[in-house]
Amino acid sequence: MTVKSYFLPQSLDEALGLLAEHGDSLLLVGGGTVALPLINEGVSTPEKVMALPQAGLSYIQRANGTVNIGATSTLTQMVDEAPFPILQEAARQSASWTIRNMATVGGNLFVPPPSGDIATALLALDAQVKLVSQAGARLVPLADFYSGFLANVMRADEILAEIQVPAPQGKTAFIKYGRKAANTPAIVTVAAHITLDGDTVTAARLALNAVGLHPLRATVAEALLTGNRLDEATISAAATAAAENCQPFTDAIASEWYRRKMVKVFVRRILRQIAGEAG
Amino acid sequence: MPAKIVSFNLNGRETEVMIQPMTTVQNLLREQLGYTATKVGCRQGGCGSCTVLVDGEPMAACLLPVENIAGKEVTTLEGITPDHGLHPLQEAFFENFATQCGYCTPGMLIVSKALLDRNPQPTRDQIIDALSGNVCRCTGYEPIIQAVQNAAQRMNGHQGE
Repeated sequence: MTVKSYFLPQSLDEALGLLAEHGDSLLLVGGGTVALPLINEGVSTPEKVMALPQAGLSYIQRANGTVNIGATSTLTQMVDEAPFPILQEAARQSASWTIRNMATVGGNLFVPPPSGDIATALLALDAQVKLVSQAGARLVPLADFYSGFLANVMRADEILAEIQVPAPQGKTAFIKYGRKAANTPAIVTVAAHITLDGDTVTAARLALNAVGLHPLRATVAEALLTGNRLDEATISAAATAAAENCQPFTDAIASEWYRRKMVKVFVRRILRQIAGEAG
Repeated sequence: MPAKIVSFNLNGRETEVMIQPMTTVQNLLREQLGYTATKVGCRQGGCGSCTVLVDGEPMAACLLPVENIAGKEVTTLEGITPDHGLHPLQEAFFENFATQCGYCTPGMLIVSKALLDRNPQPTRDQIIDALSGNVCRCTGYEPIIQAVQNAAQRMNGHQGE
């Protein structure tokens, strides 16, 4: 399948210039591992495509306790270079080696559930995304980034250039539950980042994927955890609340009913894991 | 549609091709250059049968525009196969009955080669993990895992001689 124009900018400035010139008619891709299958099948027939993997955005750098991840860093780079285990684990459990060598961290944020699990770990770490246009740059918390299924708050003239991740202040864990051990979409994915004072939760971040229109924070469960002892009663209440306050869907991977059951099971499991480490 | 000229290294040979924009490496190899070891399976990046090495990294040729490989080194199964005889991985696949219909075999061999290049003595789990993107509907995988283990032993033995 070919297109009329394929652009492979060698810098962010060049990419922003092409975006300003061609506007909405341009399909932006990272590693192409989501767009190309649709183009190969004829489901998507873009006339103009701009791919970003050579635009100088493939880096993972630490600065002042924050890690800055260039949007086109590959998932393999994230496995090898990300400083926080939860990020490595989220990348390791995505796709296959071959696809991880192509797929980008930034691109993964645009992949709808039940794929796109990197956002789950990033949400748990309070990551922000840097949206750049020719007019300037702005930082948006990832928790405010999504506005619906395949929808987000980006303007048409912006490119997601970087993800900024503050160092975790507490204990973190990541569980992806799928039908196979590897290379599979999720039934449910859970990421947790819990700060404890003794055995009392002082801050709780719990993120879910494959149980809503986009990766999301389980805010009701987080509120139940905060200020309470991380004991079996609290864990159970949080797990129940997470299952009640999400919107699982039925697809070829799992049913809505099963996904909701598994939210409860895996939220409980991830919190017990963190409680066990704390003890 | 304007044609483009792209230069890259294919199996050790400098190569220049004229392509339509966003032609995949898979189509280029098979239809323009006659390198048919790289198979067409799902064209979704899900089966692994089109895997090639780009600067030593396994990538899905069905998802890779030719423009992206400009100036890079691409290795296909043709580039791994010696002029005479077989690569130790190919020998091991042959001896372990690790190929039946053969469609997945080039992709399996390419990924196995990339694995052994990085990790000459992989564990069973590391082999399984590396090959998790390569689908085989014939063998049940066990002979393939055996073959990679045998090839690793053989290649390490040779290095020691």
